[in-house]
This record gives sequence, structure tokens and C-alpha cells, in this order.
Amino acid sequence: MEPSLVAFDQNFSGAADDFPALLRRKGLLAPAAIVNSQGGTPRQKSWQPTEATTILAFKFSGGVLVAGDRRATAGNTVVYDRADKVLEIDRHSIMAIAGVPATAWEMARVLEHSFQYFRRTQLQEMSVDGKVRALSKLLRDNFGFVMQGVGVVVPIFATYDSHPKPEARLYFYDAMGAQFEATDYAATGSGSPAVRGILYYENNWGAKPLQKLSEDEAVSIALRALDTAAESDTSTGGVDRGGKIYPLIKIVSRAGITTLPEGKIAAVFKETVA
Amino acid sequence: MIEEPYRWVEAIANRREYIEAQLASGSPIAALGYRDGILFLTLGQTRQKIFEIYDRIAMGAIGHPGDIERLRMGAIELASTEGFTRSATDVSLRRLVHYSLSPVMKSAFEQVYGPPYLARMLFAEVGEQPEGDLFLRVEYDGEIATSGATFAQARQDFAVLSGTRQSRELMESFLKTEHGADASLEAALKSALDAWSIGHMSLKTTDAKELPERAAVSKYLQEQLAHTGIEAGILERNKSRAIRYRSLSDKELRPLISD
Repeated sequence: MEPSLVAFDQNFSGAADDFPALLRRKGLLAPAAIVNSQGGTPRQKSWQPTEATTILAFKFSGGVLVAGDRRATAGNTVVYDRADKVLEIDRHSIMAIAGVPATAWEMARVLEHSFQYFRRTQLQEMSVDGKVRALSKLLRDNFGFVMQGVGVVVPIFATYDSHPKPEARLYFYDAMGAQFEATDYAATGSGSPAVRGILYYENNWGAKPLQKLSEDEAVSIALRALDTAAESDTSTGGVDRGGKIYPLIKIVSRAGITTLPEGKIAAVFKETVA
Repeated sequence: MIEEPYRWVEAIANRREYIEAQLASGSPIAALGYRDGILFLTLGQTRQKIFEIYDRIAMGAIGHPGDIERLRMGAIELASTEGFTRSATDVSLRRLVHYSLSPVMKSAFEQVYGPPYLARMLFAEVGEQPEGDLFLRVEYDGEIATSGATFAQARQDFAVLSGTRQSRELMESFLKTEHGADASLEAALKSALDAWSIGHMSLKTTDAKELPERAAVSKYLQEQLAHTGIEAGILERNKSRAIRYRSLSDKELRPLISD
């Protein structure tokens, strides 16, 4: 019999359950994939990184800026030119994704609910370390699928920590779930080599280090970097001048998350990039 | 023995009497719908009594902490899995209470060999308009009382919970005349504090049929405020945010009531 969604679990003992475990118990989330090492189903020997997109994030004077292009591709085909890859997880956290959208959006959804679920059941906010680890665990659980050649996700996680001292925090991951804290910037996706080059250069020899940039200067650099990535990477949309489609830019600061209005991005673009 | 119908009825009656006695000292909780949301309020002695359940749903409860915790966790689990698999707008308080909590509480209460839930709960769900606010009170036996308009009563923009029926009814009759859905937060806060005092005063006497004098109420309230903290939370009507619940600290509230 299929378990009913509204069935009340009388044997509740789940204070220690995290949200993904709860979903698995109710059969609402695929079990962590196991990589079959004894042969069986043939698996891909070496997987092609298919995280076709460009995501970048860096710290500036007003917090962390996270930007992503809008193009979604399948092989050589552009599927969608208004994809949203910079996702708000809670009031102070952003997950930006490169990789297979289906898996990435599902992960974002699980993560969003995990943080809320933790706060509501445990009556306290999850720590930043806990949040960073929660995403790492989702990636780890997904690795079996990655090895089978489907569902690779390589995200960036940006958040604002108020404890012990108020500061912006930025993390990037690999597909297996290892997390790395970035001091200044992070980039992921197929267009990231170009972006990393630019951010490294700007940070060391630019007009000023990234952390000293004003909001307008930061937006300008983000747009230039994405446009550069799009120049050589077919999977990155960059700025669509004809269609007037701009990258999605969000800023995490002490006050929360702001999504920059398109008009503002367009103005900076017109003035400093185009 | 208990299989005989008469014995069973007797056992249930005893159980009801026992639970009522256990709940009788429970400090009242008031939930008031006002212009910008719903205010939950009680004066807390020791443990937390007002909780966030989901984006638009909050709960207040009195009873045994262990039972409250189990029910609270259950409600959060159900709302969260529903919100995850479908969407946050599909999570409804009416379904949560009618189809999940109430049947479970009823069967726990009537299975006389097992333990009942020693808890009385008050739920509220904030609507887009004050008319969309929903208040539900759930008793230990699964009985549900609603604030919505029925054949017997007009719609109420508030709901209360207390240790005894008499205390609850006095609070209700006070709020019926004193509170309206167009109230500001400050006004709702004052009405809620007065209603709490009336409810709490009546827990200490057995024959309070009439509302106490206004001066007596405010004197009692001042005495209580001097040594207990206010516990409150609001569900905001503000549509720009998905998560509407916010707890209000005693420190935030004191300036609003000092005049």
C-alpha cells in the first residue's frame, strides 16, 4: 500500500532525523545512489563534466555578489535562454548551480526545506557550518548518479554568517561533495576557467582588490567576466544584446538577499561594458 | 471488563476527568487576527508555548511537554513533506487538522489501554485578507472548534485556549466586544494581554461567571507583567515573503504597551 501523505506517524521519534532522511523514510526522495563496483550495470569509466554554464561569485564591499548566465543547453542545442541558476535557499543563503538542472533544482528544494525544517523542529537556526555540510551531503548522496553519467551538479554556496562575527562566507564544491571555502572568489561551470583568470587578475592587479569594490564596480566586473566566458564557451549565454537578456545577479549582505533589477544591470552594462 | 460497553464509557469519562484536571492549570493563549496578520500571545513562565509550524501556520499549546512535542513534530513533518512534494500553497491547516491530527488524537484518547495525548492546541493560518484567517482549536479527544462562521455562530477574528472551559468562555466574551479584525498590532496586543489576564484570573476561582472589573484586570496584568515575560509570535500578512512567522521578544513588546 502506498503510504499516505497525510498519514500521521505515531511512532514518531524523528528529532534526530534530517529532512532528506524524513523524505526517504516516506518514499519521497530517491535513495542515495550506490556505485556498483562489482560489474552489474555497465558504468561510464570516465564521466564528462557536463556542467555547461558559467557561475561566479566574489566578495565585495557590500557582501557577496553571485552571478549566473541564463542559458540552458542540451548538447549543442540551446534549450532555454532565461534559466535561473542563482537560487535563494533562505533569507541569507544562495546556491548557484552548474550541472544538470533537474538534479540541481531538486537539491535546492531539498536544501531549502531542510533549513526550514531544522529551524522549526529544533527551534534554532542551523549554523552556517551545518548548512554548508548539508549541501555537501546531498552532493555525496548523488555521486552514484554522477558516476553513471547523469546528474552531475557543481554548486557555489554563498551566505552571511552572524556568528561569531558578522561576515560574508563563500563556498564552492566538487561533484563528490568536498567543500572549499573561498577567500575572495569562486567560479564554476564550463566557462569558469576564463572567469577565474579574470577574477584572479582583477584581485591582484586590477584598480582595487575585489573586496574593496563598490556595488556598481562589482556588477561591472561580473558582467565583463560573464561576457568574456561567453566569448569562447558556447554553453554560456553571457549578455544577449539583441534579446536584452542579462545575467541574473544577486547580492547577499547582512540585511539579506537582494536581486538586482534588470534595469540597473542594463544601465551598468550600457555604461561600462557594451 | 473494559470490553463491556458500560465499562468503556466509564473508563472514557474517568480519562476525560483526569485530563481536564491535568490541563486545568494551563496558562491561557490568545490568537488575534489583526490588520497585518495574526498575533499569538501568552505570558510565559518556563517553557515555550508558541511555535512555528509552516510558512503560514503557527500553533500554541498547553499540556504535557512530551505530548506537545510529538504533536508539534508530527504537524511539522506533515506540512514540510506536503510543501516539498507539492507546493507551499497546498499546505492547508484545515487538512492538517481534520485529516491528520484529529483522527490520531481521537483514537489515542479512546483506546483506553494506550496513553492519550495530554494536550490542547490552538492553530492559526494567516490568509491574504483578514476574512481568510483560519483559527482551529483541537482538544485532547480530537474535537475541533473553528472560528469560521457556522450555522450556530458568526465568524470570529480570534481564538483562545485555556485550562478550563469557564476561563476560555470569559476570554471569548471579552474579545467579542473588544477586538475587531481591523485593529493595529498595538491594539491587538493590548486586547490579547487583557484577555490573557481575564483568563488567568478565572483559573484561580471556581465561580467566575462575569467579566471582572476593568480596573481589576489592569491591576492584575501589571502585577503579572512585573515578574513574567511575554511570549508572542506573529504571522504576517505581508505577501512579499514566503515565511510569515516571526517570534516577538519581550524586549520588543514592552515599549508597545507602556502608556
